[in-house]
Amino acid sequence: MSGVRRSLRVRMTASLVAVLILALGTLSVVVDQVVWRALVQQLDAQLADDASAVAGMAEDEGPTVDFEYESLPDFERSQRPAYFQAWLDDGQVLARSPSLQGRDLPRPAPPGAATRFFALTLPDGRPGRAAGLRQPLRIEESGPGAVRSSSRHVTVVVAQGTEKLRAALGSVRRWLALSVGLTMLAAALAVVASVSRGLRAARDVAARVAQIDASSPGPFLPTQHLPDELVPLVDKVNELLARIEASFARERRFTADVSHELRTPLAALRTMIEVALRKTRGPREYASAISEMGDVVGQMQGLCENLLALARLDAGAVPVRAQPVALRALVDECWRPFQALARERGLTFTNELDGDATVTTDREHLRIIVSNLLSNAASYTAGGGWIVVRSGASSLLQVDDSGPGIPADVLPHLFERFVRGDPARSAGVHCGIGLALARGLGDILRLALSAQNTQEGGVSFQVRAADASSPAS
Amino acid sequence: MRVLLVEDYQPLARALAQGLREAGYAVDATADGRQGLALAGANGYDALVLDVMVPELDGLAILRRVRAAGSSAAVVIITARDQVADRIAGLDLGADDYLVKPFALDELLARLRAVIRRRYQATTNVLALGDLVIDSASRAVKRAGKPVPLSAREFALLEYLALRRGQIVTRTEIWEHVYDFAAEPSSNVVDVYVGYLRRKLGDGAPGTGTRRLIRTHRGLGYSLEIEGAK
Repeated sequence: MSGVRRSLRVRMTASLVAVLILALGTLSVVVDQVVWRALVQQLDAQLADDASAVAGMAEDEGPTVDFEYESLPDFERSQRPAYFQAWLDDGQVLARSPSLQGRDLPRPAPPGAATRFFALTLPDGRPGRAAGLRQPLRIEESGPGAVRSSSRHVTVVVAQGTEKLRAALGSVRRWLALSVGLTMLAAALAVVASVSRGLRAARDVAARVAQIDASSPGPFLPTQHLPDELVPLVDKVNELLARIEASFARERRFTADVSHELRTPLAALRTMIEVALRKTRGPREYASAISEMGDVVGQMQGLCENLLALARLDAGAVPVRAQPVALRALVDECWRPFQALARERGLTFTNELDGDATVTTDREHLRIIVSNLLSNAASYTAGGGWIVVRSGASSLLQVDDSGPGIPADVLPHLFERFVRGDPARSAGVHCGIGLALARGLGDILRLALSAQNTQEGGVSFQVRAADASSPAS
Repeated sequence: MRVLLVEDYQPLARALAQGLREAGYAVDATADGRQGLALAGANGYDALVLDVMVPELDGLAILRRVRAAGSSAAVVIITARDQVADRIAGLDLGADDYLVKPFALDELLARLRAVIRRRYQATTNVLALGDLVIDSASRAVKRAGKPVPLSAREFALLEYLALRRGQIVTRTEIWEHVYDFAAEPSSNVVDVYVGYLRRKLGDGAPGTGTRRLIRTHRGLGYSLEIEGAK
């Protein structure tokens, strides 16, 4: 059930329509009221005019009141006529419009000073509106323009049907409803269309993402035709892809390097065995072949050990068992696997460490650190050179060699994983993890590893307690 | 046949050199690319066996320069890199064959035989020259149906003369193709081995009923002459 997750299109359309209903509904009510009031006011003004015109027809002539009806067609037609009726204060009906045909209009209760307006049902049953007016009677003198008001009053009610108003209002309402409906429809369509267009970009991105596989994270997703809202997301995806690609590339290179470094000794083993078995040989020849195979196996074991240690380091599962370690003996033990290589390359090895020097640390980890430093020295020191292990002023031990020095561009990255000097320069089993592993294990043992080129053109690798002040490196 | 081996991993280089020598090749081995290039330029090797990742100058660079210098030596690349792109790069640069480590020594030997054969326009490992049959795969020689046991060096000498049959081959050429630097240089060593070879083949000796195959051209060298065979 994915009832909570609704389509963005549906959600946006629904909320837009809701807002439009509220806004246009309010607007319609207001417009309806305003129009109705304006129409009523207009009608009232007309009714008031008619009322005062009718009132003006009455004249105080001494004892009698004369009503001089001047024909007004509104009050006479048979279809939907207007009505009027005039009373004197004593209730006597002074006049009726012809349209009343003797019927009565309601007389407003206490006639006030101002004209009063009220709704009523007309004598012919139509809904209507009326204006009620009470004013003093006119007294006509003989002199021209001399009009006086009498103390007696006439009350006039004029009434008209409101069907025209209602028709006008209805028409306004119909137009309103039509335009509101059209507006909502257009808005909903516009939302659906623009959201769909926006989402099409998202679908395109999804399609491109679907084409990406582990072996080739690129090409990256283009952002030039995307809606602004999607750009940050796609940018982040691109950054992620770039990171993944970099890490894939590192892994691939690492795998290739490891496989290269495993294949080379494996090839040697195979060829050695096949050559040895090609014909019957003397015991001396067999013994020398087997001993040489042993050396190769030792190198492969070293590589496997490094790979395992590195995996454990990455998994964070490296236990430390501290014990006193005799440094000199440890270095001798670590050097043993490299004796053959050093002999071949004409390297002289000297262990100058004090036989009594001990350090309390994890022996196995320290052995891997020292082995990798020695392996590095045995492989990269130029043929005919020397390697010396000694303790320095601030170092626990250091591995110095006769060079060549490490290129300046490699030196800062020397302890990073997969970094090695000119790959064509390596003479042993190296795939750029030995020094990285040594530093990783050093961190765990609180030992700082550093390397520097010496003034004599050689290289000095130093191992110090991590808190000791460090010489410039 | 003389082979240059450029491989920097010493245990492998030593074993390969031994295996190749025991298979009858004259082998010069070096762990250094620059030295390899110098050797390739100085000697007429029949084949170069090049590792790709060697110090100073990698195997593909050696190949490129050797080919640029016009050498037609057969080249077999051996490498631990097994990517298709690496193989293509090697073959495009003019390598005749490509082997991924680890490989079987027998396979390397077979491929070497094939690329060297091609160099001498031969199509099979078996050369039949009149009543003389030379099988370079099994390293067996028969004359008139009878096996002739030869030492590795004698076989190499006969094989080289046979591949260049009908041509006069100088002592220097023989020296270059049959001996490596491990051999003691001596002015008449070639003549001595030709003598051994003739004796073992019963070449023209009375009573054997055979014709003389290896002819001496005074002051020039030797040639292997087979009537009716080219």
